[in-house]
Amino acid sequence: MIRLLSKLYAFIRRDFLSMISYRLAFLLQVVGMFFSIAAFYFLTKMMDPESEGLDGIRPFEYLLVGLAFLSYFSTALYAFAAKIRQEQMMGTLEAMLVTPTPTSIVIFASAAWDFTWGAVRIFLYLLIAKLAFGLELHVNSLLALALGVVLTLLSSTGIGILSASFILYFTRGDPINFLLSGATTFLGSVFFPVEQLPQWLQGFSKLVPLSWSLRVVRGSLLQGKSLGELRTELLVLTGLTVVLLPVGLWASRFAIRKAKREGSLVQY
Amino acid sequence: MNLAIDASGIEKTFTKKKSIGELLRHPLRPAERVQALKGVDLQIRQGEIFGLLGPNGAGKTTLLKVLSCLILPDKGRVRILGIDTVHETQVKRLLGLVHSDERSFYWRLSARENLRFFARLYDLSGSAIDSRIDELLERVDMTEPADRPFSGYSSGMKQRVAIARALLHDPPILLMDEPTRSLDPVTAQKLRDYVLEKLKRRDGKTILLATHNLREAETMADRVAILASGTVQEVGTVDEVRRWGLSGERFTLEIEATGDTLRGPFEVLSEERVDGRRRVTVLIAEGQGFEDMLRSLLASGVRVRSCDRVEPDLEAAFGRILKNKGSEA
Repeated sequence: MIRLLSKLYAFIRRDFLSMISYRLAFLLQVVGMFFSIAAFYFLTKMMDPESEGLDGIRPFEYLLVGLAFLSYFSTALYAFAAKIRQEQMMGTLEAMLVTPTPTSIVIFASAAWDFTWGAVRIFLYLLIAKLAFGLELHVNSLLALALGVVLTLLSSTGIGILSASFILYFTRGDPINFLLSGATTFLGSVFFPVEQLPQWLQGFSKLVPLSWSLRVVRGSLLQGKSLGELRTELLVLTGLTVVLLPVGLWASRFAIRKAKREGSLVQY
Repeated sequence: MNLAIDASGIEKTFTKKKSIGELLRHPLRPAERVQALKGVDLQIRQGEIFGLLGPNGAGKTTLLKVLSCLILPDKGRVRILGIDTVHETQVKRLLGLVHSDERSFYWRLSARENLRFFARLYDLSGSAIDSRIDELLERVDMTEPADRPFSGYSSGMKQRVAIARALLHDPPILLMDEPTRSLDPVTAQKLRDYVLEKLKRRDGKTILLATHNLREAETMADRVAILASGTVQEVGTVDEVRRWGLSGERFTLEIEATGDTLRGPFEVLSEERVDGRRRVTVLIAEGQGFEDMLRSLLASGVRVRSCDRVEPDLEAAFGRILKNKGSEA
């Protein structure tokens, strides 16, 4: 366990140092976040706060939380495969794979910084929104919020690993990502409440993992809901995690073995 | 005999990926397959420098990847210091791979930061990392520039950092893939000296050196193998391989220019005129003595000004072996 943490630290430190070496780009990212939040703020001023499905949440806060967590979900979905491809192109993957670190850890730890930075970005989003645009947070149960975030992270990681395994196995683009990111953006209650959709489509929203995450996060962060009030959503997220994470890990073992047999990890 | 690397019957075939166009045009046609290794046997002794020579596409890089557990072979078995490569983690602790590819580092980070990252992947513990890195940077003469970004290093410096990385976990075996490929002659020579003096003689490392550079193999390797078309064509000491396909001994004679045809217990291989003298290369058949040749020349009135033995060179042997095996195939 200590070795695993040491390796995770190494990956996070490596990517952090790389990121801050592009100082201007780093600064521009933070400035860019400010302008995005400002744009959402003024855009949502045109929206009706009484719209169906908002349940008393101001449109600005609804959209802000949705977008912040969508970007986190996208990180989970794309980071593993994107990082492996990037390391292949940079020529560093082979140097990592000749070390005694198992291939699976190299693949998963490669994305550790993306998750860490994703979490920092959510925090920065909320902080900027609070300081500059009066975002109101009503956290009653930190435990519910923490559980929601951790379960979102784990279930999304399961999907991300599954998607990376698909790419490793078939060495081609991945339909899982394509379908999920489209469905999530449309049906995941990111930009608008699912109640705004035609009745027959609303049921499909329940199949989108992020919609459950957003119910927990908005409930605990913006509506002050307790752990008990969010138990159904948390149970669904737990169920998704219990299924998706082991399936993703199993698929990755299978795909890594095939990639090693075919040499596709180190020949491109 | 203690073997550092023992590979037997290694076979590896790759399937070429079909393009989308090919898939659409011929969906049922099986993908093209390329056999990169066709039953490679290789035994490398502990403490020796072993040169792996071969033309482009011979299978050298694939073999190195199989040995370092990056690719699984289709058939055959590899043991590293007696441990089968199915025990990947154990085997990887015994190996250090020196890449020729400068891109295998993070260019925005310094040498020290790169080494810190890889040290953790080699399971070095936090407290030991910095002292080990300091020691290695000093050994490869990179202490002073160690904190500058990797992107600013010369090719020689990058290669020295690559060696330091391969030595982080102090492996007994180093696999070096074209280590001097992008170096200028002076830097390449320094690197060769370092490998010979420090890594082989002082530290007793076993080194597998895959190279195109026959001169490099000639000066560094104890034994060499010639790999072509996925099979080992010849293995032996540098001297044995140099003499491959040759019988007898060759001499170059400088003699006074006369029009006479040379006769004696030898065969004239070539002749040219240099500064008014005849320079003749002769072959003395196996069992014939050098003295017999000289005696017969002197007896026939030939005035010999100099006589040098021609050492067979590896490059010519390499050509002979490839040609011979090509004609056999």
